[in-house]
Amino acid sequence: MMRILCCLLALGMAVGLVQSTATADPIPVQVKLSCPVGGAVTSGFPGASIESCDLTRGEPKSPLPDDEFRVRAHQVDGTELDLVMTRAGKVVKSTRTLSHMDRRESAGIGMALLFWAFAIAAVAGALFVVTRRNLIAAVMGMVGSFLGIAAIYMMLFANFLAVVQMLVYAGAIMVLFVFVIMVLNRPEDEPVAPTGRVGGVIGGVAILYLIGRLVMLLIHVQVPKALTTIANEAPKATSLGHDWGSVKAVGTDLFGPGVFPFEAISILLLVAVVGAIAIARPLSKDDGEAEESP
Amino acid sequence: MNAMLFNIGYEHFLVLAAVLFLIGVAGVLIRRNALIILMSVELMLNAANMTLLTFGRMWNDLSSHTFALIVIAVAAAEASVGLAIVVAVFRGRRSVDVDRLTTLRH
Repeated sequence: MMRILCCLLALGMAVGLVQSTATADPIPVQVKLSCPVGGAVTSGFPGASIESCDLTRGEPKSPLPDDEFRVRAHQVDGTELDLVMTRAGKVVKSTRTLSHMDRRESAGIGMALLFWAFAIAAVAGALFVVTRRNLIAAVMGMVGSFLGIAAIYMMLFANFLAVVQMLVYAGAIMVLFVFVIMVLNRPEDEPVAPTGRVGGVIGGVAILYLIGRLVMLLIHVQVPKALTTIANEAPKATSLGHDWGSVKAVGTDLFGPGVFPFEAISILLLVAVVGAIAIARPLSKDDGEAEESP
Repeated sequence: MNAMLFNIGYEHFLVLAAVLFLIGVAGVLIRRNALIILMSVELMLNAANMTLLTFGRMWNDLSSHTFALIVIAVAAAEASVGLAIVVAVFRGRRSVDVDRLTTLRH
């Protein structure tokens, strides 16, 4: 089980690596240049989206013909374009550089198979948590489930959150659970609660109702066509030109509009740490007596 | 059938999140070990996070990522306090069986 999960994880990492190192395709240029390039390229482009551009001639790697220029254009949305232009203002070649390297990665059969693999890993791990009698096995199932969920986050282009998920859940929380299980060191007597007929009936009816509502929801609610058509495409860059879900994008949002929740969460974590220590600390006097009484 | 298998859309992510959430609910309702119940709660929080990210992706709204990050932090705080309570309860009663925690019943 764990070996399969590790293989899947390595596969997902490889895909992510390939995705992040893939070179950008030349894109068609609709932008118009209005900046003077060497005093020559000022032709009739009513450049709306170009913020500034530099003339970067003289790169030794690939010399250009005499009448062509290398231009790096900074667009207003933060992306940069490497252009090769003639003196007359014609764009010969264009490459998008730096940010927004996302492409149509979540389309195609390969990504579909990866999605199913990770979804099955997540669901199987979750079932492990619910069904195993051994607590360590349950924790390992939980870790597998969280790794699958992290890979699914990656497919949603939430790269930063996928890494945070792995660090926090598969790292910190897993260690916390394993530590507590080792401290308790007590095998479970009876895993499934026979809470009497009434409780069983109520629980079963509740679960069946939930499943029924879910199925009805999936049957009846239609996602608008405009949304399904872009489902598999790489998302747009953010308004500042960062990649969707990257550290830059999330950080800009977190320290801009989200700065109050961020500060609140720091206070919450402090309170949680103090509270956890206060609860779990052995009571100095009556602890021994409490352990005596069953 | 082919389209459902090979054309991954938002519905797939939403259904996966719903399935994970249901498994978490089942774990909370069925199991009687407090640790397993805490793990199931973590599972449910993760499913909710996945739904959040899917909807944020659907509407091109990046604040879902901020929100999900905060949910992860809250889940970590919840896990630490919950485990502290489990340890405290175990120290007093030598058991983490939630069905036996009936001191407050009368």
